[in-house]
Amino acid sequence: MQNKNKKFLPFLYLLPTAILLIVFLIVPILYTFYLSFFDWNLIAPTKEFVGMRNYLEVFTDPVNQKVILNTLIYIVFLVVLNFLFPYFISLIVKFFISKMQGAYKVLFFIPSLFSLVVGAMVFTWILNPVSGPLAYVLKNVGISMPNWSNSGILAITVICFITNWKVFGYNFILLLTGLGSIPKNIIDAAKVDGIPKWRLIWNVILPMNQGIAIYVLILTIVQGLQYVFTPINVITTGGPYYGSSNMIYQTYLNAFVLYKTGTSSALAIVTFVIFLILLFIEIRFVERKAKNYA
Amino acid sequence: MLKKKLNLWHVLLIIIILGAIFPILFMVSNSFKTLRDSYGTMLNLIPLHPTFENYSLLNKQVNLLGLTWNTFLMATMVTVGKLLTGLLTAYAFRSYQFKGKMLIYLIFVSTIFVPFTIVMIPNYLVISKLNLLNNIIGVALPQLCDATGIMIFLKTMEKIPNSLIDAAKIDNIPNRKIFFNIVVPILKPSIVSVGAIFFINSWNEYVWPTLILKDKSSFTLPLALQNYISSEGGTNFPLAMALSTIMVVLPLIIYLIFQKYILNSISNSGLK
Amino acid sequence: MSESNATIELKGISKNFKKNTIIDGLDLFVNAGEFLVLLGPSGCGKSTTLRMIAGLEEPSSGKVLIDSQDRNQTKDDGHTIAMVFQDYALYPNMTVYQNLEYALKVHKVPSKNRTKLIENVLDTLNLTKYRDRLPSQLSGGQKQRVAVGRGMVKKSKIFLLDEPLSNIDVQLREKARDEIQKLHVTNNQTIVYVTHDQLEAMALGDRIAVMNQGIIQMIDIPENIYNQPTNLFVAKFIGTPQINVIEVSLKSNQLVLDETPIMQIQKPGLGADSYYLGIRPESLRCSKTKQTDLSFTVTVENIIDYGRFVQLLLVMENSHHLKAIVNNNEFKVNEKIFVTLEQTTSILFDLTTEKNLYWGNYE
Repeated sequence: MQNKNKKFLPFLYLLPTAILLIVFLIVPILYTFYLSFFDWNLIAPTKEFVGMRNYLEVFTDPVNQKVILNTLIYIVFLVVLNFLFPYFISLIVKFFISKMQGAYKVLFFIPSLFSLVVGAMVFTWILNPVSGPLAYVLKNVGISMPNWSNSGILAITVICFITNWKVFGYNFILLLTGLGSIPKNIIDAAKVDGIPKWRLIWNVILPMNQGIAIYVLILTIVQGLQYVFTPINVITTGGPYYGSSNMIYQTYLNAFVLYKTGTSSALAIVTFVIFLILLFIEIRFVERKAKNYA
Repeated sequence: MLKKKLNLWHVLLIIIILGAIFPILFMVSNSFKTLRDSYGTMLNLIPLHPTFENYSLLNKQVNLLGLTWNTFLMATMVTVGKLLTGLLTAYAFRSYQFKGKMLIYLIFVSTIFVPFTIVMIPNYLVISKLNLLNNIIGVALPQLCDATGIMIFLKTMEKIPNSLIDAAKIDNIPNRKIFFNIVVPILKPSIVSVGAIFFINSWNEYVWPTLILKDKSSFTLPLALQNYISSEGGTNFPLAMALSTIMVVLPLIIYLIFQKYILNSISNSGLK
Repeated sequence: MSESNATIELKGISKNFKKNTIIDGLDLFVNAGEFLVLLGPSGCGKSTTLRMIAGLEEPSSGKVLIDSQDRNQTKDDGHTIAMVFQDYALYPNMTVYQNLEYALKVHKVPSKNRTKLIENVLDTLNLTKYRDRLPSQLSGGQKQRVAVGRGMVKKSKIFLLDEPLSNIDVQLREKARDEIQKLHVTNNQTIVYVTHDQLEAMALGDRIAVMNQGIIQMIDIPENIYNQPTNLFVAKFIGTPQINVIEVSLKSNQLVLDETPIMQIQKPGLGADSYYLGIRPESLRCSKTKQTDLSFTVTVENIIDYGRFVQLLLVMENSHHLKAIVNNNEFKVNEKIFVTLEQTTSILFDLTTEKNLYWGNYE
């Protein structure tokens, strides 16, 4: 009796989490997978089986093709702004300055506390091409500010900058923590050997910090593509003509604006598969590295 | 020679801080200017004629107290739920060996990689079936469990020495009591910081609430703010600044109080 | 100036961390080709001193001169100094070979010379078969040899070692110690070696600098450090079992312990005062019979046979304890025996300054 109880106990602790995960995560994923083979509008009583047509549409429809291309552009921008930039700054803070590290951490993090809706609102005003302060400053120098919301690529740039405002401090702290766990003696040893700092960073520090860097890189892509949802929805709603939409936002548009549940589900499944590949890379790399350095 | 070089890096870092903080200062200062003043002196960070006009006007247009209460209630529900499920799950992992442990753990790790779009439609259907549309419970319900929290708690719990738990077991103290009287108190700092992070994130949440809350009376602050930005209604920007300012106060206070804990927890969450 | 080594001179070095003074007005001269050991308890400032020589810490005041040139004025190309760290500080992402090669490569040593140098060192240290392993695939002793090897390939004039043996198994330590000694004999570099292990210091150092609380207490050859310690700290720090210290007073050319005269002395100019008398355990002469008028009785409380020697724990009549080392044990526990002390093998310290009064070798 006692024994049976003991075996049962861990599952009791896991029960709330398990129920939530099954009801709101696992079953929904399966259901979305199921929906991706049907034509449906979210309300109609019947669903029409269409086989692979929704998936075909994801890759052949010109709008979807544009959105996939946009997604790639987003990924490039996000990696540069939200990964490479904070990584560079964390290297500077770790290796090139000796004072105020703590203060920089505290201050850099502040924007991460605020809603992306707030960020989107403030930046649309700061970057307002007619009456915003930046336009005003630029006009005084003789440059006229482009109407960025009319251009897909400019809108994407602005949207990525807004998420950068929010995510920079967070990623900076993660990467700085990673660098902080590198033994100080290794840095000292290189100093005694007269090895230039950037050389050491490139040859030793970056390879040693690879685990956490890949983790942050992948998180930047996976979460970044979802973070941009808010400024897209608040500022451009995907426009001009899907020019600033990405796969995540297009999934939402298809489901709740165009009522094309099938296309939406197929897009969601494709996104998920891409993310799973990234997850696989993460597990592979981070685990392997962890073992090597143990 | 060397000293000068160092200073240059500080200049770069301070420019970044200004870039990060300026939007907030811009927002707060313009929320205290009249519409006319703000157009003329948008860049003046100290208002010439400070006024609460925007705030009182805002209070007439929307139910500020109701919005704040809704947001607070939702964030609290989500935070408490995530903390409870997180602690229980981490404790089960820390204290027991059972079949499928590794698999379950991997599932938790993977949940971070699930795009919300893949659960969006089914969860929307479930919430609407439960008649919870336009209800903050409907927003909170699917979010009561969070993998990041589980990871952080697990990491902290792994630092509790086995001998401590064993000593309690030898004294024949029931598991429930071990959990609440020994484990939870040790975890207090991480509960506080993870709780603060959960609360702030939930307070700021936008995507899922837009799907569930369509009726204005059920809105949370971010949704109300969005109404002041959308291309049609967004001409009175000091008003939007005022609402934003109201929104950022609570997260800022929480950060000021728990800053050290919060930054530590974030650092820990990344360490593999 | 020799090609293979350099002198090191520290002039009035002080180092403060916040409000704590770690090093206080330290002067030190290390001869070219000398093997100097910095010895002291943890926190005494020996590692900080080493790190200042290496240029890893700036002294708060004072100068570090290498071959009479100010360390901070000359641009260091990383050729002058090599250093081995306590936890080895090997680059974890590089193989043994790459670890040895890295600094040479960065400083553009031609690859032909490089290969020759590295292969020589690998051979000397018996590391050839591990050349393609990562540090994580090596044992503690192997890592330690790689760390030493990384310092060796540079053929630097100065070789600094910071507790290089403290992280390896006791059984391997002696062998590693011999290797370092051999290395010094063949390469004739100036070596500064930090340790808290007195046996290591005695075995390796041409001279030993004993440090405590940021001050060099004594710097001399190992023999003098042991036999003629400048003060009570050095006397107590060196030697196991520890030196016996008893408080005595001087009355008419006799040292008196609680009214009992225990030693006849011949030194003019010492006042009738109280002193600390230090006697190494091996200098106590124990016997079953009274040897001189000044022999005093003790009781054997405990006997530990270490194999090579036997340690006796003795209790005096005033219940003060003494330790003695004898080669052949003829005593039993609780037996009353006699102890005889001699001036030539004991040391007298001032009661307040705790300084050695150097009387034993006064003849």
